[in-house]
Amino acid sequence: MERMSAPRWLARCALSAALLLFGCGLATAWFGNSLQVPATTTRDGTLITLNRYAREPIPDVVLVGSSLTFRLKEEYFATPRLRNLALAGGSPVTGLEIVANQPRLPRLVLIETNVLSRAPDAALVERYSRSGGAADPLFFRPVRTAVAAYENWLHAPLSHAQVASALDQLRKQPPSNFDNRVYVERALQQFNDQDPTVVTLASVDRVEQLIASLEARGSRALLFELPYSQPLEESRSAKITREIVHAKFPAPDRWLPIAYSRPELRWADGVHLDERSAVIASQSIDRVLPALLGSQ
Amino acid sequence: MTFTSWQFGVFVAVVFAVYYLPPLRTLQVQWLVFASLFFYGYGQPQLLPLLAVAVFGTYLFLILALRNRQIWLPVGIGFNLALLAFFKYKFLFMDAGSSSLSGVAPVGFLLRLPLPIGISFFVFHNISLLVDLTRRQGSPPDLTSVFLYIIFFPQLVSGPITRAEMFMPQITPKYFSDIAFVEAAKWILTGFFFKLYVANNLNEMTSYMDFPLYETLQTQDRWLLVFLYSYQIYADFFGYSAIAIGLALLFGYRLPVNFNLPYISSSFSEFWTRWHISLSNWFRTSLYIPLGGNRHGALRTYLNLMIVMGLGGLWHGAGLSFLMWGVMHGLLLVIERPLLTPLKSIDSAVFRAVRISFVFFCVSMLWIFFKLPNFDHAVSYLSGMFTPSTNLNPPKLFYSLAVLYSLPVIIQHLVSGSVFERTLRRAEPYLYGSMAALMYLEAGPETSFIYFQF
Repeated sequence: MERMSAPRWLARCALSAALLLFGCGLATAWFGNSLQVPATTTRDGTLITLNRYAREPIPDVVLVGSSLTFRLKEEYFATPRLRNLALAGGSPVTGLEIVANQPRLPRLVLIETNVLSRAPDAALVERYSRSGGAADPLFFRPVRTAVAAYENWLHAPLSHAQVASALDQLRKQPPSNFDNRVYVERALQQFNDQDPTVVTLASVDRVEQLIASLEARGSRALLFELPYSQPLEESRSAKITREIVHAKFPAPDRWLPIAYSRPELRWADGVHLDERSAVIASQSIDRVLPALLGSQ
Repeated sequence: MTFTSWQFGVFVAVVFAVYYLPPLRTLQVQWLVFASLFFYGYGQPQLLPLLAVAVFGTYLFLILALRNRQIWLPVGIGFNLALLAFFKYKFLFMDAGSSSLSGVAPVGFLLRLPLPIGISFFVFHNISLLVDLTRRQGSPPDLTSVFLYIIFFPQLVSGPITRAEMFMPQITPKYFSDIAFVEAAKWILTGFFFKLYVANNLNEMTSYMDFPLYETLQTQDRWLLVFLYSYQIYADFFGYSAIAIGLALLFGYRLPVNFNLPYISSSFSEFWTRWHISLSNWFRTSLYIPLGGNRHGALRTYLNLMIVMGLGGLWHGAGLSFLMWGVMHGLLLVIERPLLTPLKSIDSAVFRAVRISFVFFCVSMLWIFFKLPNFDHAVSYLSGMFTPSTNLNPPKLFYSLAVLYSLPVIIQHLVSGSVFERTLRRAEPYLYGSMAALMYLEAGPETSFIYFQF
């Protein structure tokens, strides 16, 4: 077979690349952001949740927090129009910044204060803080979007109605007897080694500013703490964080009034609630929401 | 400056444009040397003097060895090995965190210098220069040519390790009309595609193999990640080597091919003729054969294999994990050696597939020691592969993405090159164009090349 000349080969190569890029650009222009479902590999549902928040109508209630609040799945709540923007491995301030930077606000923002020793994710804040939501990529990404569509089809978000009976069954079971001592010891060591003072002081200042900004625009913001296991409650990091936060926000009406039976709770690793306990904590928050939303 | 940065693209474009200007044809070598020095010093200019010492020192020993090989060749090799040992293994003997590493200021300064990028590679180039060019008496090459051989930027950081006897004769005037554009484009596009699409995306998943993240993994995900890392390290290093070969072709130089579908090897000895070929060749000619190779009986051969592979492991880094990786490979070579002939006599496609799978499995398992240079972490990861996980909230890995990002490596290995040659010749430019678009659209998060650390 006759060999193709170099200029012809290179021209065809460049043309096919350009056509593919053009096609993807065109698809993006036609279908917009709805095609940009991020199929992430290691950031779990974080980006998916943030994308949904940026794209869908603003909900009534938003939770922001760390991996502790991340465990409180949206489907655990009977309250409709509730979004959990907690970021596993992230700071509550990141979610709060994103919420505060949107043109429209939810009626109620609930802010977890357990973990304020991490700096906010500036890249994430920047990405989701523009009007219109997430930054529109120029090109449609064929592989990731196909996988994202497949994963979303496979694991479509559940509604509370779909899981209500399963949640009831779970609550009726006795608390887990999983032996988490190894994890608790490790977490305790980490919590005792850390001195969260500097970042936490900066975080509470920023939280105060953002709350003022939210409330000036008609929203309401309340703080809440999720329980740790007893050894972790006594840890250096937890104590310092609690002292700083309560010194900054001493007024009781700034705090979400939630009640649960502590002996019923268990922690997978001393820090994060196990599934049954997460349901209990979620439902305790759920119970006070109608009154809070009704009073606004 | 990494190959995947926009700065590197601009750098190559400028160097290429000036290189072929007719008035500058007599200065092509000098221009490439200057460009390579700029490339190396970009970001770490404090390491340029070290590079200069290595090149000038080697050149001096080359001239002396051409007069008296018996004395000066070992001294020259020792000089280069001492450089390598000093920078790579110094912290085996002293505490890196110590505030005062030595009482003497200049020594303290040297001790605090970071590991020079590519030192393992350019030291081997230096040794090859000394060995190859002193085999026969002749006039020494000019200093600029020596500089170019050692620091030619496409191969400076991570090879391929080119023999001096192969490279030096190529130093002649180059003409624009002689450029193998299509071949260069194929290498460069393939290299970037494997790096950006395969390696960088897989890296997002295999980062979970790092300590302490691996403790959160489910047992089956530990297994999956081992094989994904196997694909990743191949795509990463093959990608780098392919880009280097393509870039060198643009400047009229042909570098040796460094990979030849290593994961279809049916024996460990075959694997080492297909993986990092230039390093394997270097070790064979510069260490294994001088040690006696297979010329002194079975036991001595086994000992030589163990020494070469053990040192090969340590060449990658001063750590027990790297040593274990090399020793285990040596052991596998020793175990299979008496079995090779009987195994070859079994003519069965199924049996060959079983052998390929077994070699791939063992090679992949040993990459754990590469991924986790801390030996305790590597052992902990390994033991976790055989015990059920207790983490109630393991990270989620998308298996469909894992398959799609690994697919190019799998296709490359399983579909014969002749199939592409026969049936896809006409579609070839379109395939490469699609790869170019896909690597842009689907590029994973930026990560440095794995072999940069060596």
